[in-house]
Amino acid sequence: MTLIMVVDDDQDLAEMLGIVLTSSGFDVDMVSRGDEALEVFRNNPPDLVLLDVMLPGIDGIEVCRLIRKESMVPIVMLSAKGETQDVVRGLEAGADDYMQKPFRDKAELIARIRTRLRRTNSDVTGLLSIGDITIDVTAHEVRRGAALIQLTRLEFDLLVALAKDPGRVFTRDALLSEVWGYRQTTDTRLVNVHVQRLRSKVEHDADRPEIIMTVRGVGYKAGGAA
Amino acid sequence: MNRLRRSLKHSLATRVILSTLLLSLSVVWLTGSALYSRLADGILATSLNSSLAEARYTFFNAEYQVLASQSMSVADRKEALAEFVVSTSTQGINEERREVIFVKTPGAPTTANSYEMSSNVIKNSSIPKDLRAKIKKDSKLHYTYGPARYNDGERIDSLFVGQRIIIPTGGRYEVYIVFSLKNQTATVELILNSLLITGVALIFLIGLITWLVVRQVVRPVREAARIANQFTQGDFTQRMKVVSTDEMATLAISYNEMALSIEEQITRLEHLSRVQQRFVSDVTHELRTPLTTLRMASEVIHVQRNSFDPLVARSSELLVAQLDRFERLLEDLLEVSRFDAEVAVLEPVDFDVIGLINRCAADFDMGGTVPTRDIQLEADEDSVTINADIRRVERIMRNLLSNALDHAEGKKILVSVLATDTEVGIGVRDYGSGLDESALTRVFDRFWREDPSRARVRGGTGLGLSIALEDARLHNGELDAWGRPNQGAHFVLTLPRKAGELINSRPIKATPKDFHQEAFYQ
Repeated sequence: MTLIMVVDDDQDLAEMLGIVLTSSGFDVDMVSRGDEALEVFRNNPPDLVLLDVMLPGIDGIEVCRLIRKESMVPIVMLSAKGETQDVVRGLEAGADDYMQKPFRDKAELIARIRTRLRRTNSDVTGLLSIGDITIDVTAHEVRRGAALIQLTRLEFDLLVALAKDPGRVFTRDALLSEVWGYRQTTDTRLVNVHVQRLRSKVEHDADRPEIIMTVRGVGYKAGGAA
Repeated sequence: MNRLRRSLKHSLATRVILSTLLLSLSVVWLTGSALYSRLADGILATSLNSSLAEARYTFFNAEYQVLASQSMSVADRKEALAEFVVSTSTQGINEERREVIFVKTPGAPTTANSYEMSSNVIKNSSIPKDLRAKIKKDSKLHYTYGPARYNDGERIDSLFVGQRIIIPTGGRYEVYIVFSLKNQTATVELILNSLLITGVALIFLIGLITWLVVRQVVRPVREAARIANQFTQGDFTQRMKVVSTDEMATLAISYNEMALSIEEQITRLEHLSRVQQRFVSDVTHELRTPLTTLRMASEVIHVQRNSFDPLVARSSELLVAQLDRFERLLEDLLEVSRFDAEVAVLEPVDFDVIGLINRCAADFDMGGTVPTRDIQLEADEDSVTINADIRRVERIMRNLLSNALDHAEGKKILVSVLATDTEVGIGVRDYGSGLDESALTRVFDRFWREDPSRARVRGGTGLGLSIALEDARLHNGELDAWGRPNQGAHFVLTLPRKAGELINSRPIKATPKDFHQEAFYQ
């Protein structure tokens, strides 16, 4: 069974999320305080974390940062504040995706969770390379020379999406549909923030990217082989 | 000239300096000419008295000579008179030149011997005519001023004094003494020059002083105007400097008190508005969490509706629909509160508007309960890339399309796109119920509905068009509305192609191309 950890201080919402998730076939672990989240996370590592931003104890963004320090688990932030700053702060702290309350419908929530859990690019296998980076899709490993680079599942998917089609320019919308599974959305901040985070891990100099190139006014593409 | 007129109109300093100069010029002119004429007259009067005394003595002497020479021969008498003329004339230095002239009275009977003689350096013709006329008339002493012409061509202002003299057997003669006034003329000229120089210097100094004084007054006034202007521009921290205890300082103190009071009022109002905005925002946020729970709960119920009693099933449908509406209202309210608080920010990216419109139209086609296959797109180009906040532009398009669909009455909807180098115009035209004049003025008002009794087909929040207008204006763009009853409506969005720039023209006019005024009124 897939275990989902729900961190939300609103008891009723948490319970409701529990009902919906359970009825969709997930196991649910519920936490109501930010400062308890990390302990529960360590004791019983979940497959995915649903994390509210406003939490008693420590806030969701801090919890996200702490979890990200020790795990690459998918994190989806739940936010009642749709303001740009909160969303960007959450993404920068390591969240893979965010959902704004109230959700369109429960199907949307479930769809997002499943997208984050499934292995994307299952059609791609073997070795890929961009610049001096080698990607072993099957083993889910990224290396520069012998050194292993730790990526979250989403960052890995983003890198593979670009690498499997070198030279193709991906619009942000295309990446949103390919990596995040959005049919239609216009929130390109998700892409921007994750590209920045991925660059900070794979580039020699994030200010002069060689692996993930920006194509002005269009989107991104993989850099040429070294 | 125009510059001077403008300067006169706009600069207090120029006006004050100019009028001071004009006034002091006339005062200097008046006193100067009075002084000049008094001095000139005085100088001439002094020399006149001594000259006249001298002249009387000379004339007396001349008469004596004539009497004394009565017994002499003509030649001797001539000699004696010539000797008298020479001795009475002074020659040499110009300043004290004095000439004596014997001249026959015109019209007197001619005699054999002429006693006309002079010191010979002066022309007889230079004796003024009117003086000669007076002397001819009576035997008194007369004088006048006039230029004396010398044989060497020199002209010197002189005093002519003359008297009649009878030479026995010789006839009637006139004796003139010509006193050179060169000295006096020079003095008067010196006085005139001094007066002119003093006058010019005085006017210049008065101008300078006025300028300095005016500057003292005008500078703080200008400074005050500058500060008041900055205050008007919104810099409420501007205060005037108080450096003295004069009237300017009083003005500065009063102004500063006013500024402080205004600043406090504004701060208070800003605070109130912040509190208000914060409250609206908090309420909206706080409502979101329970709304999420409600939506999920209602869905869980809704999914099971087939196993319910029909009334309960219908109720669950209504619950879901109303929660949808509630959520849209909440989102729109939050957006409106952001605009009111002026915290809405643009996040511009480059994107293709035509692609965006197609996507929005396609969504309406898929999700709507009303048949919407009649959204037609009319554009010259396949893609028009603009730099704008895609989320907001998409929201504007959705609002305009949804509004058009609500009122289209099943007829087609025409979306036109026309771009210039700097602007893009997007028109959404429907051929439905349309809008009348009064509706056009209120169509962007919050919660305004054309006909309150009309069924809400798509369940809009009543905030859509007003948010669309705010979104357009945030881009420095414009949203125009046109409508005629039963002729449909036309909403035109105009945006700059680059975020942050201004629009200079409307590529698409609000009045649609397919509307003909004449046809309408026939």
